[in-house]
Amino acid sequence: MMTGIIFSNIYDTALGVLSANRTVASLPFGGRYRFIDFTLSNMVNSGVRNIGVITKYNYQSLMDHLGSCQEWDLNNKNDSLYIIPPFASGRSEVYRGKLEALHTSINFLKSQKSQYVLLSDTITICNIDYREVLEEHIKSGADVTLIATKPANYTDDHVVVVEADSDNKATKITLNYPASEKALVGMGMFIMDREILIKEVEEAVADGFFHFEKDFVQKKFNLGTLNINIYEFEDVVLRNKDISTYFKNNLSLLDEKVRKGLFKKNSPIYTKVRDEIPSYYGENSVVNECVIADGCKIEGFVENSIIFRDVKIAEGVQIINSVIMQGTKIAKDAYIENAILDKNVTITEGIRLIGASDNPVIIKKGETV
Amino acid sequence: MLDRQKECIAMLLAGGQGSRLLVLTEKTAKPAVPFGGKYRIIDFPLSNCVNSGIDTVGILTQYQPLELNDYIGNGQPWGLNRNFGGAHILPPYAQSKKMEWYKGTANAIYQNLSFVENYNPKHVIILSGDHIYKMDYKKMLKYHIKNNAECTIAVRDVPMAEASRFGIMNTNEDGSIYQFEEKPANPKSNHASMGVYIFKWEILRKYLIEDEADTTSDNDFGKNIIPALLRDGRRLFAYTFDGYWKDVGTISSLWEANMDILDGQFNLKDKNFKIFARNYAQPSSYISASSDIKHSFVAEGCTVKGKVKHSVVSTGCVIEEDVEISDSVIMPGAVIKKGAVIKYAIIGEGVTVEENCKIGDNPEYFDKDSWGIAVIGKGETVEKNTIIRPNEVI
Repeated sequence: MMTGIIFSNIYDTALGVLSANRTVASLPFGGRYRFIDFTLSNMVNSGVRNIGVITKYNYQSLMDHLGSCQEWDLNNKNDSLYIIPPFASGRSEVYRGKLEALHTSINFLKSQKSQYVLLSDTITICNIDYREVLEEHIKSGADVTLIATKPANYTDDHVVVVEADSDNKATKITLNYPASEKALVGMGMFIMDREILIKEVEEAVADGFFHFEKDFVQKKFNLGTLNINIYEFEDVVLRNKDISTYFKNNLSLLDEKVRKGLFKKNSPIYTKVRDEIPSYYGENSVVNECVIADGCKIEGFVENSIIFRDVKIAEGVQIINSVIMQGTKIAKDAYIENAILDKNVTITEGIRLIGASDNPVIIKKGETV
Repeated sequence: MLDRQKECIAMLLAGGQGSRLLVLTEKTAKPAVPFGGKYRIIDFPLSNCVNSGIDTVGILTQYQPLELNDYIGNGQPWGLNRNFGGAHILPPYAQSKKMEWYKGTANAIYQNLSFVENYNPKHVIILSGDHIYKMDYKKMLKYHIKNNAECTIAVRDVPMAEASRFGIMNTNEDGSIYQFEEKPANPKSNHASMGVYIFKWEILRKYLIEDEADTTSDNDFGKNIIPALLRDGRRLFAYTFDGYWKDVGTISSLWEANMDILDGQFNLKDKNFKIFARNYAQPSSYISASSDIKHSFVAEGCTVKGKVKHSVVSTGCVIEEDVEISDSVIMPGAVIKKGAVIKYAIIGEGVTVEENCKIGDNPEYFDKDSWGIAVIGKGETVEKNTIIRPNEVI
C-alpha cells in the first residue's frame, strides 16, 4: 500500500506567535483537535498505517500529543508511527525544505515495503480518502499525483497553482502566484512511487537543492521529465496559511456545511483523549452559534466562537467572534471580541480585548491579562 | 510467576441483570448503562481502582456481556492494559468435569480462584458494578492493614429512619464488627454496607472453598460469607466512607444520581481523581443561536438547537429546534426532533423521538403514586405526536 510522510514543521513561520513554541502540526484547531489529527486520521482511515512524522524543532508538544498513538490505532505490531528527528541521517543538517527533510528520513523510507508514498503537510484541514487518490494515481500512470482543490480566492498567492487538461494531466505549474479561473491550487499532498522518491531526494540533495515544489516538482515538470496527475478534491478544504486564515477557518466550523465536510461518521477524526467531564452550562449562560468542547464551565455570554476543552467563562463575561483554547480562564465581566486566546491564558476581571475580524488580538500561551 | 505478588487486586461483580432498570437493561448489563453524559456505571469502580493504585481487576460478567466486553476491551481507556495485571473479563466457563453459571456473588469468585492465584495477592477487594461514587480504596486498604483485619467492609452512615432498608453492620468502639443484620426491623446502628469488601486473600480463599462445599448455601457474600466469618470470630472491621455514594439500581435512583451531578451533590471534575471512560472520537458540540441551555451538562458530539434546562445531554445527541427538555437524562446518540417536549424522563441510548412528542411531566400535576420518571428504552423510536405519560416505560 502506501507509507505516509508528514512534515510537522513546514510553514512554521507563517503562523507567527501561535507556532513560536510548538510545531505547526500541534496547533490547536476546532475545539479539541490539533492540525496533525486531521492528517493522521485521514491516513489511518485510508489504510495508510506506517507513518513517519518529520520534525525539526519544538516537537516536544507534538510528541506529548501523539503519545503511544493508540488513539489513532497505531500502537500495533505491524502498524506504527515513527517520529523522525532532524538529524536522523548521517550527513544532513537541520533541513531547509521538504527535499532535505525527506533526506533526513531516507533510512525510514528505505526500510518501508510499500510501493507508494503519500506526502502531506499539516496546515491543510480536510477529510479525504487517500485510497481513491491512489487508485486514480495508478490508473493515470503518472509519476506524481498532486492533490488540488478550487482556490479559496483569486487574489492571494498560492504555494502551488496548477492547470490540467481534460485527462487531469498537469499542463502548467506556477509557484507563489494567484490562481486563474481555470486553475486549481495544491493542498500540499502528493502521492508517488517510493523508489523514485528516494532516488530523486538523494540526487537533488547531492546537488544542493532543498525545495520540493520548486526544485523537484516544477523543475522536472518544466524539463518535461515528470508526468503529473492532478486529483481534484471537491469537499471542504481549510488551508491555514497565516493567522488570519487560521482564525477564519476555526470560525468556519460554525457553518454546518463545513462541519459535515470535516466530521464524517465513517472516517472520524481522532485526537488525544483527555478524560474531561461534559461541559456545564450555568443558570445565566447564553450560547449562540458556538462550537464547544468538553470540560468547560460556561456562566456568561458566548457568540460565534470556538471554545476548546476545560475553558472557564465566568458570569457577566461576553465573548464574541473568538477562539478560546484549552484551559483558559476568563474572569467576571471581561469583554472579548475578535481574539485568539492561546492555551492556559488567564483574563482577569473586567478586561476588554477587542481585535479586528481580519486581525484578531492574540494572547500567548500561559499569559495573564 | 510465584515470586511476583500483588498487594491487592480487585474483583468486580458485573454480572447483575439490573432488572429494576427495566428497558434500560433489557439488552445491556447494568454496569454498561450510560451515566452522567459520557460515562457508564462501570467507569466509576474501574476509575476508583486505577486512582487507588490497583492495577489488576477481574470483571465477572454473566448477563448480556457482549456490550460490556466490547466496552472494556483491553482496559486501555482506564490505563488497565498491563503486562502483569490489568483488566480481565471473566465470564463463567466450562471446566473439565462441569460447567455452571455463577450461582451467587461468592460462587463467582470461587469459580475464578485460579485467576486470583495467578497474582498471589495479599488482599482482594470485592466491588460491584452498580454504584456511583468516587472512593480511594488505598485509604481503606491502609485501615484494613493497620487493624490486621481479615475482612474490612466499607459502610456509610445512613439516617437511622432508613437503616432498616440496608444491610447494617453493628460495630464496637474500635470499629470491629460484632453483628451483621440484613434489613433489620429495629436497627441498632446506621452503618450501611456499601458492598465493598477487602479480604485477606488466604481467609477469603478458605471461606469460599468451605462455602462451596455447603450445598445449602446461597453462595452470597452478604448472606453466607460475612456471617460465616462473624460466626468464627474473625477480625471484621467497618470502614466509614463519607463521600457521595449512590446505588443506581432503580430508574428513580439513576435519574437522581444524574441530577446530583448537576446540583453539585457529586463533583465529577477533579484533576487528581478523574473518571475515565472509553472515548468515541466525536467532534466538539455545536450550539446554535436558537438554543437555550441552562444549568445543564452537554457532552461532545452534540448538536443543540432547542431548550435544555436542568438536564444531562450525553455524547452525540441531536436536539432540534423548538424542543424543550427539562429535568431529564438524554443518553448517548439520542435524536430529539422538532417540537418534542421532554420532562422528567430518561431517554435511552440511540432513541429517536419524532416531532411533537410529549414525554413525561412535572410531578406537581399528579398524585404521588401515579407519577414517576418516563423511560424510553435503548434503540426505540417514538412515533410523531406520541404522548408518553409519567411513569410510562417504552
